[in-house]
Amino acid sequence: MTTPPQSGHEPDTQVPAQALITQFEAPEPLVEETTEAPAIKGGRRRTGQIRDIWKRFRRNKLAVVGLAVVGFLMVIAILQPFISPYDPMEQNLLNTRKPPSGNHFFGTDILGRDMFSGILYGVKLAMIVGWSVMVLSLIVGVALGAIAGFRGKAVDSIIMRVTDIVLAFPSLIGAILVVQIFGNGIWQVIIALVLLSWPTAARLMRGSTLSLRESEYVEAARSIGASDTRIVTRHVLPNAIAPTLIYSFSHIGVAIVAMASLAFLGIGVPADIPEWGTMIADAVPSLNVEGESHMWIFPSLAIVVTTLAFAFVADGLRDSIDPKLR
Amino acid sequence: MGKFITRRLAHAVLVIVAATFLIYLGLFAIGDPFASSGEKTVPPEIQEALREKFGMDQPFFVQYLTYLQNMFTFDFGVDFEQRRDVADMLANAVPATARLALFAIAIEIIIGLTAGIIAAVSQYTFRDVLITVITTLGIGIPVFVVGIGLRAGLSGEWIFPAVPRSFTIEVPWYQEVILPAITLAIIDAAFIARLMRGSMLEVMRADYVRTARAKGLSERKVIGKHALRNSIIPVVTYTGVSLGVLLGGALITETIFEYQGVGYLLVRAISQQNAPVIVPIVVFAVLTFVALSTLVDILYAYLDPRIRLH
Repeated sequence: MTTPPQSGHEPDTQVPAQALITQFEAPEPLVEETTEAPAIKGGRRRTGQIRDIWKRFRRNKLAVVGLAVVGFLMVIAILQPFISPYDPMEQNLLNTRKPPSGNHFFGTDILGRDMFSGILYGVKLAMIVGWSVMVLSLIVGVALGAIAGFRGKAVDSIIMRVTDIVLAFPSLIGAILVVQIFGNGIWQVIIALVLLSWPTAARLMRGSTLSLRESEYVEAARSIGASDTRIVTRHVLPNAIAPTLIYSFSHIGVAIVAMASLAFLGIGVPADIPEWGTMIADAVPSLNVEGESHMWIFPSLAIVVTTLAFAFVADGLRDSIDPKLR
Repeated sequence: MGKFITRRLAHAVLVIVAATFLIYLGLFAIGDPFASSGEKTVPPEIQEALREKFGMDQPFFVQYLTYLQNMFTFDFGVDFEQRRDVADMLANAVPATARLALFAIAIEIIIGLTAGIIAAVSQYTFRDVLITVITTLGIGIPVFVVGIGLRAGLSGEWIFPAVPRSFTIEVPWYQEVILPAITLAIIDAAFIARLMRGSMLEVMRADYVRTARAKGLSERKVIGKHALRNSIIPVVTYTGVSLGVLLGGALITETIFEYQGVGYLLVRAISQQNAPVIVPIVVFAVLTFVALSTLVDILYAYLDPRIRLH
C-alpha cells in the first residue's frame, strides 16, 4: 500500500503566530493516520481526505465546541417559528422594560416585545445573513479570482484594479455607503457585505490559481489536450480553493458582527425587526438604569456566543484543512 | 526603488480617483435632498432655487469636477441642516478623533506587547494559556458590545464622565477619551499580543539568541535586547495598517460614548441625509486608508528588495 502525498502530515515544528489553545493539548503522533488513507482515485480518495480533515479537526476541543454551538444555532434558526413563545414583533405597551420572569425568560423591551422570542428571531437573521454572505462572496470571489489567475493579462488587471478600489474603503464605511444607495432591508445588507468581502476572496483565489497554473500536473493535463474549462474546474479549483474557503468561513462571524454594527448605528436593518444590534441600540437609554440591564445583556451575549463559536470553528478548519496555512 | 515608488503612487492615485467617483455616484443614487418627502413638502420653485444655489442643476460630470476641485481647496460647502461651514465642523471633529486614535494605539501597543512578551517567555505555562484565552475573547467580542459593557459599567463612576453628556459639566478631554480609547484598543491589543507571541517565539529559536545565552548574558538582556528588537517588526507594520480599521471602529465607539469626533459626526450626518458632511468624511477615510497602505507597501519594498521586482 502506498501512502498518498499529504502535505499536512509533517509534524509542525513551528508554533503558529495566531496560536490557539489547541497547542497546549498533548501533541498526538501524526504518523498513524497516513498509513490508513489508501491512494485510490475518485470518490474514495475524497472521502479519505474529508476523514483526515475531520480527524485533525476533532483534536481541537474548542473547535468541536464551536461546531456544536453552530449546529445548535442552526437548529434554533430553523425551528424559530415553532419554539418562539411569543410573536417577536408583538408589542405590549403596558408591559415594557420588564426584567426576566417566568412569562418572559429574557424580559421585555422598550415596546413590550418578548426579548426571548426576539433573540431567537435574531438567531435566524444572523444565520441567514452570515451564511448568505459566505456563499455569495465565495461564489463571486472564486469565479473572478480563478479567471483572473488563469487568464492573466488584461482580464487579470481589470479584476485586480476593481478589488483595489473596493478595498480602499474601510469596510464599515463602505457597507454604510452601499446601504445608503440600495436602501434599508436585510437583502440590501447582504448585498453590501458581499460587495465588500468578495475582493479578498478573489485575491486569495487568484494567488493560489497563479501558483498552480505553472505546476507540472496542470502542464501535463494541458499536454494531453484537456480544455481550459476542464483544467480549471477539475484540476485547479479543487486544489486552489482551500485558503479561499477558510477565509469565507471565517467571514461568517465578521458578517454577523457587521450587520449588528450597522443595525446598532440605525443603518440598513429596518428598526422594527428584532435584530441583536437594534435591540442593543434600543437599550442604550436604559444602560445605567437599575433593573433594565437585561435589555442589553441578552442580545450582547447572543452576539458574543455566536461570533466566538464561528471563530473557533474557523480556526479549527484552518488548522485541519491545511496545517501549513496556520 | 524609484521606479517601484512611482508605480505604487500612480496606482494609489488611480484608486483614489475611482473611489471618489464611486462616492459621488453613490451620492447621486441616494436622491435629491430638496425633494418633498413624507411630511416635508417643498414648493417646486423653491426646489429649483435651492438646486441652483447648491449647483445641483449642472450636469453630472461638471458637478463631479467641481466637487474634486473643492475637495483640494478644503472647501466643503455648508451642511444641509443648519448651513454650518462643513470645514469648520471637521476642524473641530478631526483633532478629537486623532486624539482618540493616538490614545487607542498607545494602549494597544503597551498592552499588546506586554501580554505577547509575557506569553512567549512563559510558553505553555498557565500564564500563557490565560493570555491566549483572553486574546481569543478580545478578538471575538464585537467592538460595540465591549463599548456598551464599559459604558454600562463605568461611565459616571470614578473619573469617567457620565454618558449622555450634561451641558453644564465641563469634562477635560483626557477623561473623556479614556473609555472610548480602551474600547477601540481591545481588539488590536489582542491581535498585537498574538502577533508578538508568535514572532517572539520564532526569534527565540534563532541561533543568535542561543549565542547570546551561550556567552552568558542574563535572561533579561537576551530577551530585552536581542529577542525583542527583532520580533517587533511585524507589530510595527500591523499597527500601520490597523489605523485604517481604527477609523471604522471609531464610528461605533464615538457613537456609544457620544464622543464629538469624526465618526459620531458621520453617523449623525447619515441619519439626517446630510450629504455635504458625509462626502468629505468618507473621502478623508479613503484617502487615509490608501495613503497608509501605500506607505506600508513602500516600506516593505525598502526592507525586502525582492518585492520591488513584482
